[in-house]
Amino acid sequence: MTDAVVSTHDVRRDYHMGDEIVHAVRGVSLEVTRGDYVAIVGPSGCGKSTLLNLIGGIDRPTGGSVTVDGNRVDTMRDAAATRFRLVSIGFVFQRFYLMPALSAAENVELPMAEAGLPAARRAERARDLLAYVGLAERRKHRPAQMSGGEQQRVAIARALANSPKLLLADEPTGELDAKTGAEMIDLLGRVNRDGTTVIVVTHDEDLARAARRVVHMRDGNVVDDHRQNGA
Amino acid sequence: MLAALLAAVALQQIDSVPPHRAPRTLVVDERLAADAGLKIGDPLIVSRTPGGVGDTVIVSAFMRRRADPSEVARAEYRVRMHLDELQSLIDYGDRVDRFALLSHPEPPGHPEPYVADAPQGRLRGGSALPAVTDSAIRRINAAAFGFQAHRSRDIAVETSQTFLVVSRFHRAIGVITIVASAIFLLCIMLLKVDERRRDVAALRLMGISAGSITRSVMVEASVVAVVGSVLGLVLGWISTAIINWHYRGVYRTPLAFALVTPQIALLAMMLSLILGLAAGFVAARRLVSMPPLELLTGRRDDRPPVSAAATR
Amino acid sequence: MLFRLAWATLTSHRARTLLAILGVAVSAAMLLDMVMLSSGMRSSFKSLLLARGFQLRLAPKGTLPLDTDATIGNAAEITSVLRAMPDVETVSPVLGGQLHVPRDGKTVTATALGGDAASQGDYEITSGREPRGADEIAASDDFLRVANLRVGDTLSAAAGYDPQLRTFSGTRQLRVVGRAHFLYMAAEQRAVALPLETLQAMQGQAARDRVSFFMVRARQGANVDSVLQRIERAVPKVSAISTESAIRQIDQRLSYFRQLAFILGTVSLVVGFLLVTTLVTVSVNERLGEIVVMRAIGVARGRVVSQIVLEGSAIMIAGAVLGLGLGLLTARYLNSILASFPGLPAAIDFFLFEPRDAWSALGMLVAAGILAGIYPSWRGASVPIATTLREEAVG
Repeated sequence: MTDAVVSTHDVRRDYHMGDEIVHAVRGVSLEVTRGDYVAIVGPSGCGKSTLLNLIGGIDRPTGGSVTVDGNRVDTMRDAAATRFRLVSIGFVFQRFYLMPALSAAENVELPMAEAGLPAARRAERARDLLAYVGLAERRKHRPAQMSGGEQQRVAIARALANSPKLLLADEPTGELDAKTGAEMIDLLGRVNRDGTTVIVVTHDEDLARAARRVVHMRDGNVVDDHRQNGA
Repeated sequence: MLAALLAAVALQQIDSVPPHRAPRTLVVDERLAADAGLKIGDPLIVSRTPGGVGDTVIVSAFMRRRADPSEVARAEYRVRMHLDELQSLIDYGDRVDRFALLSHPEPPGHPEPYVADAPQGRLRGGSALPAVTDSAIRRINAAAFGFQAHRSRDIAVETSQTFLVVSRFHRAIGVITIVASAIFLLCIMLLKVDERRRDVAALRLMGISAGSITRSVMVEASVVAVVGSVLGLVLGWISTAIINWHYRGVYRTPLAFALVTPQIALLAMMLSLILGLAAGFVAARRLVSMPPLELLTGRRDDRPPVSAAATR
Repeated sequence: MLFRLAWATLTSHRARTLLAILGVAVSAAMLLDMVMLSSGMRSSFKSLLLARGFQLRLAPKGTLPLDTDATIGNAAEITSVLRAMPDVETVSPVLGGQLHVPRDGKTVTATALGGDAASQGDYEITSGREPRGADEIAASDDFLRVANLRVGDTLSAAAGYDPQLRTFSGTRQLRVVGRAHFLYMAAEQRAVALPLETLQAMQGQAARDRVSFFMVRARQGANVDSVLQRIERAVPKVSAISTESAIRQIDQRLSYFRQLAFILGTVSLVVGFLLVTTLVTVSVNERLGEIVVMRAIGVARGRVVSQIVLEGSAIMIAGAVLGLGLGLLTARYLNSILASFPGLPAAIDFFLFEPRDAWSALGMLVAAGILAGIYPSWRGASVPIATTLREEAVG
């Protein structure tokens, strides 16, 4: 029996766009084992981001099921899903979405504060996480004072704040230049090597090449699913 | 010339007039008629003291109170009688409280108008020719013992002191409201313009000048101001109607308590427009004064500008 | 962290936050003023009526004290009857009139109050002493100034004046023994106080044993309404007016100001509410991306709403505190306007500050601020996360 941290069974997601119904995800069944590093690739509009959102519990499927770490996220009520995301899943977005009014350290502390960690402990952990992503000396800086790459690192540190079992990244290198993107790819690889299951959605071929498993999607379906890099 | 005597009298309703004497007549105010259920032709006894001996009178007419601010809060009733009847009723002899005079221009050779002697009274004069009135007042004051002539207008001003105070109070509230409105308007404009900072950034990057953007925002602000002030005028007109209806009922007076005149309407609209334009201008200038990239990214560019020498 | 994020958000848009606080401050000031106005007149008038502890006034039947020229006869007998009542502590008979004082080629006229110095409740001596002797008088500062008199001076005063014949009647030589502050007189009103018998004598036969009204103080613990009823039974030709009924009559006459206070107060509250709602709505719309990300990373909806509501409340509280100071200043200014009502006792304030009023006004405003923030923040925190993220990415 595999240790699947993510398991989707015939999951579907349809959207209404005016009078039309768009089938963004059409019956995808997928399993991701613990500690794996999966890249979901495909052309724009193929449903990869939608699939990531369904796995992360921030969207509800039209049909099928989604299980994360043994929990059915598709049937959770909003409050339970929110709590689950807080402690079990870390999110990284293309546009970073840091709180502009908070410093880097405060941004990293935010999920820990929500989880109830005492102030001293979260300050210490924030320091450690920022050091982990190579931004120890920038912890008091605000996002507006950082480059895109630095902001994305802070976003990764924030995503790791509550030691999630699963890290979901949607186009993490989408707004970064090649050099910074490469640094991000290295960082994500390190996060995975240190034990976190990582699923990325990307157009970036370099990022896709860094993963151990690549899932190709087209028109809402998985058209290819192969392992690479000796995995 | 009108001699006026004010006195408090008591009224008593009776069923019929004693047959041995022709009835005297009395004019009562609308309020008294309504409260006492009087009709034209009803007989009454009017006496000096409550329940005392008095004269029998017939209600011959109803009178409406004047729209006089000084009478508004007064709850007393009023009746009108012939002067000699009232003098006799209250034992006043050949005395009055005041005379009212209506002056007119004298044709050449005409004898001077008669001026009556009256104790402790005030004479009121009014005419289309102020110089004639002034002359009459001077002559009366020089010749008469014990009383003073005044213009009606001056007396009206003195008796309206209460309402002058109320007017000043309203004006102060009005000024405070205008200041508050200006602050609110500026705050809202700032918020609304701030919301569109990315649009403004895109326009600036495209090459649209700061002036054009400012003008566009000011046009928008002025449209909002004009539409808002028209709405406000309608609301004000409705409120005025309600206020007048309510207080006319409460005080039982034909006085208008609130009035929206064309001048007031124009002032309100102009003020609103000026404030709107000013708020729009301030809000717009705040945004266009920021570099477009800073508007877009929210990031201030702290780098020093590149010198011409460095680029050569 | 909630406070930190709210504070950081507010301080990152300083101009907007300051303007909003100022806007709320003006609303708060107006609201406080209107709350003060709605209860100030009544409290002030009640304090004035009870200044010397007299809870009842007796006037000729159907009239108010000094509202007409009517007087009450057999004053001495009525005074004895009242003083004999077990619950009556003090009875002060008062006769009103005018005194005419020829000075330096002109005649200075003053309102005269004839009473019993030992039991009077109309004035307070500020220097000198009360007029106890038959030919003694105490006067207001304005009278002394206009008549060019000082304490110790003697003057010739008349109770009657015929302007036609220019003759005085009831003339007497009186000595000024004290300066007095007359509690119920308008500012700058010329007034004098002298013994009741003296004024009665000066007014001639018509005023013999007559007074304009009585002031009655009931014993401590006595039921004022019972005393009132007993008096009306014992002395049917007077109308007994208690402090409460006098206040009711004043309430009726000045109801306009209470209604105005209510309307303007409500408008202020509504405007403050709308301002905060607009501010919170715009703030939420601007930060929709941040808000949904907070939800995406696991911050509970209630927490997100609380943080946004906290921002709105902080503006409301800061504005309310500033508005308190502003309101007190504007109240002083508005009070100075209304205090110039002709004939209004100088001691009456229209705007009276009571801490209870401040708390209720500010409480209303803060509650409004909280309510104002709830709906837009709840809406913002409830948008579908995935859809909004996609729209924000495209936008």
